[in-house]
Amino acid sequence: MDAINSRPLMVLRLATAATQEIGSTPQGALTVFPVTGGSFEGERLRGQVLAGGGDWVRARGDGVLSLDLRVTLETDDGGLIHMTFSGVRDDANGYFRTVPRFETATPKYAFLNRLLAVGIGEIRPDGPVHIIEEVL
Amino acid sequence: MNTRLLMTMHVKVGTLLNIGPVPCGVRRTAPLGGGTFEGPRLRGAILPASSADWQLLRPDGVLEMDLRCTLRTDDGALIYMSSFGLRHGPPEVIAAIGRGETVDPSTYYFRTMPRFETAHPAYAFLNRLVAVASGDRRPEGPIYTIHEVL
Repeated sequence: MDAINSRPLMVLRLATAATQEIGSTPQGALTVFPVTGGSFEGERLRGQVLAGGGDWVRARGDGVLSLDLRVTLETDDGGLIHMTFSGVRDDANGYFRTVPRFETATPKYAFLNRLLAVGIGEIRPDGPVHIIEEVL
Repeated sequence: MNTRLLMTMHVKVGTLLNIGPVPCGVRRTAPLGGGTFEGPRLRGAILPASSADWQLLRPDGVLEMDLRCTLRTDDGALIYMSSFGLRHGPPEVIAAIGRGETVDPSTYYFRTMPRFETAHPAYAFLNRLVAVASGDRRPEGPIYTIHEVL
């Protein structure tokens, strides 16, 4: 069986504020990364990340971080897109992958409602960057 | 995106339970009647008890799938698998699937994102990966080709 194909959707750069350490709870150690802004850019869409989102990051017992992000994207032509992802960040193995989902009411971007995507994450000095591909 | 084959899964679907129109679309539940999975690193059976696919047909024609099932490997490990997926395509293709015909899977979009949880050390690698699956809806149930995202 052939491999599953993909094509670039966007590169997402997030700006985050100081983390909020909720601490050790029955579900693991929880840290909130507030998202204060950022940008996204791809062939089919580009724009800004609005403040008000965040990533709820849980440290699991096996050393892997489990991610749960929600943000709002605003395209350069005014479309609003609700984006979420779950994912895993396993620093010991250099593995940082997410599965983003999108919801929008803007007809031009309705294709986002119908696709699955995979993100490759990196932590850079100026914040996290996610290279997101559409699963074809 | 680099991937490698994790497993091929043959799912048997039982009788659909049509919940009907709900505020977000038309909902139905597909209980799984079992099945098998096989790949280079694991193989075994799908346990029919507590395995089903909760489906919502959205007003835009996209079928959202929320599958949860329990896998048992041939050496006795239990693995919880959940996956979110989307299925959509040209109306005539979707209608043919609805009539129980076998159609070329390249003519419609059927992709899912499986996640796994297990306590068995031999399969702990599944806890740490993200996967993508391509589906092929056959009359008896879907065949999923599941790839690990590298």
